[in-house]
Amino acid sequence: MELIKPFSDEYMDYLRDESRTVGYADSISFPKTEEEIVSILKYLYQNNTAITVQGARTGLVAAAVPFGGHILNISKMDKILGCRKDQKNFYLTIEPGVILMELNKKISSKKFDTTSWNEISLEAYNSFLSSPPMFFTPDPTENTATLGGMVACNASGARSFMYGATRNHITAIRLALADGRIVSLKRGETFANLRTLTITTQNGDNITLDLPKYEMPNTKNASGYFVKDNMDAIDLFIGSDSTLGVITELEIALTPLPPHIWGISCFFESEIKAIKFVQLVRYKIEGVAAMEYFDQTALNLLRNQKESGTAFAQLPDVPYNYNCCVYIELHANTEESIEGKMFEVGEKMELAGGNLDDTWVARNENDIDCLHFLRHAAPESANMIIDQRKKTDPMITKLGTDMSVPDQFLEEVFDLYRSGLEENNLESATWGHIGNNHLHVNILPRDSEDYKTGTILYSIWADEIAKMGGAISAEHGVGKLKSYFLEVMYGSESIEQMTALKYQLDPKGLLSKGNLFTPKKGGEN
Amino acid sequence: MKIIVCMKQVPSSNDVHLDPVTNTIIRDGNKSIINPFDSSALEQAVEIKERLGGEVTVLSMGIPDTQRLLRDALSRGCDKAVLLSDSAFAGSDTLATAYTLGLGVKKIGKFDLILCGKMAVDGDTAQIGPELAENLNIPHVTDVDEVIFVNDKEIICSKLIDGGSQILNVPLPALITVVKDIKIPRLPSIKGIRFSQTASLEILTAQDISADITKTGLNGSPTQVVKTFTPVQENTSVEFKGNAKKIAKQIASVLGEVL
Amino acid sequence: MANLTINKDLCNGCGVCINSCGNNAITLDNGKAIVNENCILCGICVDSCPCNAISIENISQPTKDISNSSGIWVFAEVSQGKLLPVGFELLGKGRALANQKKCSLTAVLLSHSSEAMAKELIYAGADDVLICADKDLHDLREELCTTILCNMIMARNPEILLFGATAFGRSVAPRVAARIQTGLTADCTMLEIDDKGLLRQTRPAFGGNIMATIICPKTRPQMATVRSGIMEPIHRDTTRIGKIVRVPFPSKLKTKTKIMETRLNKSTLNLADAKALIVVGKGIGSKKNMALVNQLADLIGASVGVSRPLVDAGWSEYKHQVGQTGATVAPKVLISLGVSGAIQHLAGIYRAEKIIAVNTDPDAPIFGVCHYKIVADCVEILKELIEIYKK
Repeated sequence: MELIKPFSDEYMDYLRDESRTVGYADSISFPKTEEEIVSILKYLYQNNTAITVQGARTGLVAAAVPFGGHILNISKMDKILGCRKDQKNFYLTIEPGVILMELNKKISSKKFDTTSWNEISLEAYNSFLSSPPMFFTPDPTENTATLGGMVACNASGARSFMYGATRNHITAIRLALADGRIVSLKRGETFANLRTLTITTQNGDNITLDLPKYEMPNTKNASGYFVKDNMDAIDLFIGSDSTLGVITELEIALTPLPPHIWGISCFFESEIKAIKFVQLVRYKIEGVAAMEYFDQTALNLLRNQKESGTAFAQLPDVPYNYNCCVYIELHANTEESIEGKMFEVGEKMELAGGNLDDTWVARNENDIDCLHFLRHAAPESANMIIDQRKKTDPMITKLGTDMSVPDQFLEEVFDLYRSGLEENNLESATWGHIGNNHLHVNILPRDSEDYKTGTILYSIWADEIAKMGGAISAEHGVGKLKSYFLEVMYGSESIEQMTALKYQLDPKGLLSKGNLFTPKKGGEN
Repeated sequence: MKIIVCMKQVPSSNDVHLDPVTNTIIRDGNKSIINPFDSSALEQAVEIKERLGGEVTVLSMGIPDTQRLLRDALSRGCDKAVLLSDSAFAGSDTLATAYTLGLGVKKIGKFDLILCGKMAVDGDTAQIGPELAENLNIPHVTDVDEVIFVNDKEIICSKLIDGGSQILNVPLPALITVVKDIKIPRLPSIKGIRFSQTASLEILTAQDISADITKTGLNGSPTQVVKTFTPVQENTSVEFKGNAKKIAKQIASVLGEVL
Repeated sequence: MANLTINKDLCNGCGVCINSCGNNAITLDNGKAIVNENCILCGICVDSCPCNAISIENISQPTKDISNSSGIWVFAEVSQGKLLPVGFELLGKGRALANQKKCSLTAVLLSHSSEAMAKELIYAGADDVLICADKDLHDLREELCTTILCNMIMARNPEILLFGATAFGRSVAPRVAARIQTGLTADCTMLEIDDKGLLRQTRPAFGGNIMATIICPKTRPQMATVRSGIMEPIHRDTTRIGKIVRVPFPSKLKTKTKIMETRLNKSTLNLADAKALIVVGKGIGSKKNMALVNQLADLIGASVGVSRPLVDAGWSEYKHQVGQTGATVAPKVLISLGVSGAIQHLAGIYRAEKIIAVNTDPDAPIFGVCHYKIVADCVEILKELIEIYKK
């Protein structure tokens, strides 16, 4: 088949993703249309070939890393197909390979290639042009991700604290099942009856699915299938790590951009004070769009990088008595209101034992860019260190957690991490979405011994967090690296149910083999 | 140590394009910001003050809206602000601006050091600093990239020159213009913002500074803009298509012809 | 006092002027444009108005007597014991202007040496050379040069005075202008004489997005600093003869500023003279890809330049910057990788003989000036090129 190319050295890059896991494959394709995806899938289905779906390979859990079979790379499907409006909002229909950064640029400049758009789209676009600015709220740190990838893992970002994860902003998807049949789902149209869901394919087949029985944790979550009683069918496929179908098209909802966006970095001398501050602020001040955390080691990484004269040299100096930082982003409609909120944040800070001098307030675009840069600099610096250490020991990778817990466990989860790191004498840097009790604790192994200790500690944490009713993946997805923890979180019975669900849609178990399920379960025939 | 920092309000973006239909100039975005070079000058001034004590006054000539940015400067460590605002100042070229700022400086009174950004990002003239210093008859140094030493008598600084740098010693009072990299501007703190809301911001008219209005604004400007236009681009280019390998070969063959 | 006037009969309320204004100084009132207190009389709206409804009224002041000024002067800057090319370029342009105005062209040389230099200036088009020589002028001393130049101007009254827009020129020229109280136009890219004999000076403003033509009708000399690498020198003509006039170094001239040390960069990267140049922009993606760029540059013997955003981002140093605020370049071939081509950047590269541009955005402005257009990811192309040249 012409669309399918045998794998060769020129495609080496497609064997890895940002998790730095490297796999292997037999063939690869870069479809440009839904029809091409369908014909590729049909061919592979006949030949019982396993398929790994790939976007921009920015994922952190190896979901896009193939272990044999075919790589279906959708990055060439990067067109914006149309626009729709209703009373409140604007919606864009896009192909799954659209890159988030490009999308954001187009939305803010309101410039789209509309040559192939139909009249309804053009009409909606015209009113979009004269409407106040809009934005797409999900803001994962890695903004070169594809939208298809973001939907596959239900990505989120700092602003998900206020606006929710990607799921909340997806209003329609089209997907191709493993055998090539097309399913088109619009939010609000197809619902489950308790835990039984019937979906209809484009050619009229009804497929009835028994949904797993487990209850999802009451936290930010991107672990396993989204299921609940009477759920909307579309939600099953969002965050399914491409194990149920291949997304061929999606519709995203835009949100009016708040006229005033300010960022405040609040520095504290101790973690205890920072946690207290978070508890005082969240849900108490309206308009808090993001609450992010950086611990002392994360700030030290920045200081070191800055001194070594890298790109981070443009950042302001972080005074040495600033031991940790909570970044708050405020969204509001008027200047008076946002200023009032800022002073409220200040009051809470003083209550938590902080000092109003120890704040950086960004009120214009330049300053906000600076604080965003600071946020992105932390993971970037950690990666640089790991890449350095990899040179002496190639086995070393960053061990980054992505777990969330319910609100009442925020202090407890900090204790869990701190005591574990201390007892095992491990180097680490921590940042993340503290408003959602969702921290990325990054173990930075110095040698392979540390790496082993770290992986063990990681499992212990997953266990404890499952006990707290938390999620083992809050935003990165499960992919291949965290499938073991999914079982820890939900138990083997639930995994059986998930596997059964997958086989109802993908009877040969070809799609994204290895994602969600440890190989001996769903992946293997 | 009494320090004055000159600041200009500039458009946040220099994006200007030609409307294809009317063939006229359209500006994209019309927010205004503190000229980034001046932000660096402000930071340098505040750091000197924090070390030696004293007072930083930020001085600007501009439209009334400039008050907003002066408040911003106050939130970032300046102590006082003075805005020279009068329709008699509109249309000033660099000489008229330097004249007006000079009167502003005299109104502020005794000073030890004046800092200016090397240039403004909208005009790119880099002339205000030297012209102001000449008007005040004080020594000055342009393109300063480091303040090495300063006390109430003298300043030792490094300046960038073509092909290198120079270390200079200048008695105070003096004026320096600074390059953007001299300091990374700080962000204001909540405390700073609170201070800026009530800090002293004086607005002075032509009369307040006893300006001779034949020397200010458009009338007082020896240079006149007689025409503005957007540069025209013309083009006929060959496009290379294909995969990266093929394109690279085509590029290599062009390079082969030329080099 | 000057005013912006909008002729209500001509204004059709189209709103173009509102968009052109950088200061929110124009609003619509009953379908007609009106101006408010934000106006700074920059004049952009005047040229933007399709109906010619906007004008700036300037009640002209009595002018000083300027009739006895004459002659065009070019400041011939000496750096590290050598005449800078920009001086020759200015003499080239100055020669044409002087011929048109039928006046003399004078080169001003402030240096501790030499007769030979003065001769070169005459070969390059000067009718005469004013020399003030002293060992104190060895280091570029702005304070001394300003005083000497001002003395010369007061004594001889030139009509036009041109400087190269070098760091030194752009420092001395405004000092002179302020002391003489005359107009100065910075960083000009075009000079011409109008029908009244005035010097029309055209320069980029707003980061090069707008060109402004400026005159200085009321005071003398009409002063400009002129961008290096733009004007053409005339062919060196050793048969030319001219007068060399020595001006004594003013005695008792003291400076307040003391130069403690001068450091010259040993390895001066000279982008302006590079034959082949690779210029890199934000499209390169990350700082680490700069290593690939340097690798290719080594392979093909090119120098590396960058666009301003890269310097701002700290991925490269200012000395590599190409464009309006960096180096103006004129290579035989320029490979532009991931540069979108803001106008201020284009202003610095337009003298390149061949431009090969790679960018992912098919509408990037760089494609408007290039000779070979490639819509692609520049990193991929870069890797392929390295492969080719490795062999």
